[in-house]
Amino acid sequence: MKRRDLLRASVITGATAALGSSLSAAQSTTQNSAPASELTPAQRGVDASNDLSAPGWKPLFLDEHQNETLILLSDLIIPATDTPGAKEALVNRYIDLLLAAESRDIQKAFLNSLGYLDGESIRRYKAAFRYLPREDQDDLLHALAFPSGNSGWTGEAAGPDIGHEHFQHLKQRIGMAYYSSQIGAKDLGWDGAAAHGVYQGCEHSEGKHK
Amino acid sequence: MIWPYFDKDPLEQTYDAVVVGSGATGGWAAKQLSEAGLKVALLEAGRAVSPKEFTEHMPGYKLKYRDHSPEIVRTRPIQKQCYACMEYNYEWFVNDLENPYSTPADKPFTWQRLRVLGGRSLVWGRQSYRLSDNDFKAASRDGYGDDWPISYADLAPYYDIVERYVGISGSAEGNEMLPDGQFLPPMKMSCGEILLKDRVKAQFGRTVTIGRVAIITENHNGRLACHYCGPCERGCSTFSYFSSPFTTVADAQKSGNCTLITNAVVSHVNMDTGQNKASGVTYVDRLTRQVKEVRAKTVILCAQALESTRILLNSSTREYPNGLANSSGALGRYLMDHVTGGGATGFLPEMKIRPDANEPQRPNGIYIPRFRNTPSRKKQSQFIRGYGYQGGGGAEFNFSAQGYGTSFKGAVKEGIYSISMGAFGESLARWDNHLAIDPNLKDAWGIPALRISMAHGDNEAALMEDAATQAAEMLESAGAKDIKVQTRVEMPGMAIHELGTARMGNDPKKSVLTPFNQTHDVKNLFVMDGASFVSSACQNPTLTMMAITVRACANLIDRFRKNEV
Repeated sequence: MKRRDLLRASVITGATAALGSSLSAAQSTTQNSAPASELTPAQRGVDASNDLSAPGWKPLFLDEHQNETLILLSDLIIPATDTPGAKEALVNRYIDLLLAAESRDIQKAFLNSLGYLDGESIRRYKAAFRYLPREDQDDLLHALAFPSGNSGWTGEAAGPDIGHEHFQHLKQRIGMAYYSSQIGAKDLGWDGAAAHGVYQGCEHSEGKHK
Repeated sequence: MIWPYFDKDPLEQTYDAVVVGSGATGGWAAKQLSEAGLKVALLEAGRAVSPKEFTEHMPGYKLKYRDHSPEIVRTRPIQKQCYACMEYNYEWFVNDLENPYSTPADKPFTWQRLRVLGGRSLVWGRQSYRLSDNDFKAASRDGYGDDWPISYADLAPYYDIVERYVGISGSAEGNEMLPDGQFLPPMKMSCGEILLKDRVKAQFGRTVTIGRVAIITENHNGRLACHYCGPCERGCSTFSYFSSPFTTVADAQKSGNCTLITNAVVSHVNMDTGQNKASGVTYVDRLTRQVKEVRAKTVILCAQALESTRILLNSSTREYPNGLANSSGALGRYLMDHVTGGGATGFLPEMKIRPDANEPQRPNGIYIPRFRNTPSRKKQSQFIRGYGYQGGGGAEFNFSAQGYGTSFKGAVKEGIYSISMGAFGESLARWDNHLAIDPNLKDAWGIPALRISMAHGDNEAALMEDAATQAAEMLESAGAKDIKVQTRVEMPGMAIHELGTARMGNDPKKSVLTPFNQTHDVKNLFVMDGASFVSSACQNPTLTMMAITVRACANLIDRFRKNEV
């Protein structure tokens, strides 16, 4: 057992003991339990983590082409490696759920960025993004992710790159959806515990920080 | 409604004191008065709260919208501007549709608040700093505004009482602007923070210290030490951060002298006009809309600065046509909220530590006390007063890494070591920044709502400009790269440090309250919260609010014992 596991175990045992004794006064403050309508789903203990994997899932907002494009794009941006990628994390389903609840402006902005991807794809390769061979998909994404005309050598500021902005918008959404999922949290190395003992801070001597 | 310690109907008796509001200050008033033997009615506009509602250990992926709930947008368009209002806990925050207020079109103000037992003490930022005589007597030193009628020596014993009970972890620094207090062991600093501290000390002679925070770092007063899970604003199963329901309010109830009445939305103070004395308060039951009255020998408002003043403005009588206890005309005036928006962020490339998803989460940062216009430094020409910073540094996952695919996924985990600081500046007390009742607006209980008129001025803008420049220079001295400077003046209310509108003072013609928080006009009426502040200083105010309340209660208890009430 690592040190932090020991610390965690002691925190939890201690908490149970304290709840049983010294805080009985606190409990009396709170004997009325709130009506469900005045609690958030989280405060009621609702666990929605399996909602998106329900069988028979259908998009609420995206059409089939948009959904398929998003699945493909998300898995190119965050592919499966030694850990699962965006497709397995159902990134498309979370983005769809969120978009369905969001304002028209935000919905439009998303469709605009996804549409830009297809527009560029058709302009360059005469086919929508999801029908391109993998090689062309990669070429297009590379062009959007690393815009040319940058100022690396001359120091000159490049003008706004609309393609890059649309790419960043989509990537930001996909990244947020992936890293807020359980798969994403595990990818970052999270072990699933809520607490990990006392924050130790810097343990270096002066001048040895790194 | 609950009345655990009385057989009689709680509304049939006359209490020694009715306390309106159960947050940081109301909890203290209820505790101090009931433990001294006074019969107290404690009124809270919201419902009771239970530890069963705490969600601090629930991972975000269990939330349907992963903290982007459309319900918050629909019912809490103002509250969602608060960093602590989230999909986990938004029901603790007021429903904006039921709790309206207005502002002039060119003076937006964000009023972020809770109506539930404990109020904002459930979600507060917990930073706890003393004021010094550089603050209490600032007017004498730079000629602006008014001195407080009390000095540091008057308040110091009460700071001690509050700190010993609450449990403030922190580090003594001997700083001229930031008096030390009764501290529990400090939380630890990260490598980058220590680097910043050492280099800022060497190059600028300024103090960087760990945040002084109302989170206990060892078991204290029957509560358990912090277990570093991180998100205090979602509740704490070990009660490690200070919130009133599980400390002061619980103690008040334990005394056997305190009757808690929840769901009591107070509309106004009742007056016995013949005797010029307050006789109690009227409230609307939040759920049934029944109108009820609580009678008491003293009325103590601890409802939060704006809400306490709203109650007084809504309590006008023939004798006090412009708001109760407002013969001075100062009621509603001198509204303040710390100015924010100046600061800087950067990266420390020499730190090679990678982010760790399993690192204990420290719910605290660093603090840089005010270093402008201090006794030992030369005066600034561009502005008076000053600002302090909150900040922090550590390894983070680099979600904005370049590119896509396998390399992006790896770069996120590679991480980046960021360091940042953001300023809280003094908000000068100005007559023009004020509250009034909006004649055309009522809340869901039919109670006239506030019109809030506040704007920051040139001094606040100059503070934030200097704060941004100084932040960048200090980060640079620590070796930070890619420094991004932010010079903004955020909308008032964003600091959530509303102060003033019923200021204390020695002169009844210029102030609403005595130095013991009694109204000059009505001897058995008190306001014991942030409304009493004469100036805002730049330190987070809750600790001072609590100390002022405990001091005012000590005075009131004394007078009860001498039969002066």
